[in-house]
Amino acid sequence: MSDENNNSVVSARNISKSYTLYTRASQRLLHMILPKREYPKFEALKDVTFQVDRGETVGIIGQNGAGKSTLLQIVTGTVPPTTGTISVSGRAAALLELGAGFEPDFTGRENIRLNGTILGLNEAQLEERMNDIIAFSELSEFVDRPVRTYSSGMFMRLAFSVAAHVDADLLIIDEALAVGDARFTQKCMRFLKDFKRRGSILFVSHDMGAVTGLCDRVLWLDHGRIRAEGEPARVCEQYVASQFDGLIARPSENEIAPAKNKSRSNAQAPGQDEVVLYLPDTPPRESVLGLTSCSPFNPNANAFGSGGAAIVDAGIFDRNTGERLAQVREGQTVDLRISIEADDEVAAPIIGFYIKDRLGQHLLGENTFWEDVPQHSIAAGQSICTVFSFDWPAMKAGAYALTIAIADGSMADHIQRHWIHDAIIFEVLSSSSRHGLVGLNMHRVAIDYAPVQ
Amino acid sequence: MALDTTSKSGSGQLLSRLIPLSFLTTHRVAFRQFLVRAISRRYRLSAFGALWMIVVPLVTLGIYTFVFGVVMESRWNSEQSGTSVFSIYLFSGLIVFWVMAEVVGQSPTAIAEHTNLVKRAVFPLEILPAVVVGSAVFHALVNALVLMAALLALQGTIPLSALWLPVVLAPFVLMLLGFAWILAAIGVYFRDIVHVVGLFLTGALFISPVFYDTSRLNPIIQSVIILNPITFIVVQTRKVILEGQAPDWIGLGLYLLVAWAVASIGLAFFRRARANFADVL
Repeated sequence: MSDENNNSVVSARNISKSYTLYTRASQRLLHMILPKREYPKFEALKDVTFQVDRGETVGIIGQNGAGKSTLLQIVTGTVPPTTGTISVSGRAAALLELGAGFEPDFTGRENIRLNGTILGLNEAQLEERMNDIIAFSELSEFVDRPVRTYSSGMFMRLAFSVAAHVDADLLIIDEALAVGDARFTQKCMRFLKDFKRRGSILFVSHDMGAVTGLCDRVLWLDHGRIRAEGEPARVCEQYVASQFDGLIARPSENEIAPAKNKSRSNAQAPGQDEVVLYLPDTPPRESVLGLTSCSPFNPNANAFGSGGAAIVDAGIFDRNTGERLAQVREGQTVDLRISIEADDEVAAPIIGFYIKDRLGQHLLGENTFWEDVPQHSIAAGQSICTVFSFDWPAMKAGAYALTIAIADGSMADHIQRHWIHDAIIFEVLSSSSRHGLVGLNMHRVAIDYAPVQ
Repeated sequence: MALDTTSKSGSGQLLSRLIPLSFLTTHRVAFRQFLVRAISRRYRLSAFGALWMIVVPLVTLGIYTFVFGVVMESRWNSEQSGTSVFSIYLFSGLIVFWVMAEVVGQSPTAIAEHTNLVKRAVFPLEILPAVVVGSAVFHALVNALVLMAALLALQGTIPLSALWLPVVLAPFVLMLLGFAWILAAIGVYFRDIVHVVGLFLTGALFISPVFYDTSRLNPIIQSVIILNPITFIVVQTRKVILEGQAPDWIGLGLYLLVAWAVASIGLAFFRRARANFADVL
């Protein structure tokens, strides 16, 4: 490891990787005997140079087949580069595609032991951490079954849990989080955000939100070359823009015309040259769009807090009928009710919630603290119910989680009595929100081609 | 699933080059895990379990004894006669042959069966062929115990020189380790090796002192038979277990030297070949 820069965890210089394509097994043998003969080659990586510094999180983006996985395999050491040099210092734990180096016939526990030792834990450390690893993976009753019986999500949970407990200096994560369920992915993101303070991460994902949310720097691989490198938001934007370059052909004129007429006939009160692109159906829109399913309150979800008051129930209720909802529609007026039991007095309660996307980004939230309204204490032994009434937001399809908490104090200075991470999981099945994370309550969309000056 | 690429110390590398077994201490947890699994896997799903470990060799021995001892009336040599003596000579030879048969037969697929460990992990793959050898040795030990029990039943005594058996087998195991690494590496690139290996084993079984006493044959044929890796070991095994003699120390020393060279070359070959395993599988 003779790096000029001692601060780098990964240092790759002029890495290229090419695969010789043989059509028959005998050709490989022939090539070994007669190495001069030419065979077609596939160049997976061309002259890639990059480094990952200590404590840095680097994202790698690019289309399928751009060389992302090959690059990670080279960093991990399972595949040698054809030319170029790679050096990795410290202990690296990799989650390549699904499930890492697991033996299908071994049980979960045996695979933990196997991978733990390969990753450098000694037997004592392994026994000491075994229970933590199993607990983190949440595989309790499955851990003594062979992993070939596992689902892909369970595979990932096991692999992530091992990697999280081996004191790695570098975590290499290849699309692994895509297969987990929403709650576990939340947990992984929390872990990764925490891990960033201690170590480096090399993160491959197609999810631009995850990349910009987690990474300090992004590499964009395109046909085996680095096309751009730098600040995550900027590189991701360039990448996404390039994706659309090929896809959206500019509409020709005769294609625009009929669309224009059609829109006009639908329009309520079109202006002179205005094209109305969108008008909502008569409200409320009774379409399949905007349906969200809500899980029941999970009292055993990951939580922390100093205690003295506990959140015992939470749910989404219909504002009008008062019934607990398992499905909510966009725009529906709902009550979020949070029931709390106080064992001790809570002098200045603040009760609040967040709706997070699956990457743990706080999208929406509110709490009961208002500057000019005094806080009323909750007496010891008292039960209360907090109600937030709002119109259900339009969110992009996907999984979301509700975090709820009760704190004691002011906004500036408080202690958390009880904070539940993923108390309710929402699954937005369909959404009217076509772009971005959160939908707008859109009333009308139009283009005026002859605006009044 | 992972790697530890902190640079290895130069002296450690030199040591591992000189002693092809040193990796077993570094990776003993994984080795033990795979060995236990390899042995138990074969019997776990069968109703009679580990009983097969004894039944299969005994029935095989019964068939050979019937064909060669009863039907063809082979006898070991003039002074020792009787089918039971022939059977015991045969069994001691077969035990040695079976070790090689298991190693040579299974090594070519030892790596190919573990694609996950090749492609998604920096796993010490050299332990996988070693596990094949370990499992074969385990079965040989079980068979050796059966042989001892048979000796006790037939003769009422086991010669004290039988204690040399581990010393006789040690160089053989080292030799097989070398074979295992070479065959495992070749097996990844060249699947046809499975067929070659089958032929080799048939030859090795019959062109050997397993079924007949080679000392009566003409010297030219003898010099061919001695090239069979099991020949010397079979003769020495019978010497210590059946004939109550000490092993041929000079021969054993030479064998050890060759075995050490084969194992070292085998490991070096394996390590060179492994760089491209992930590309091929």
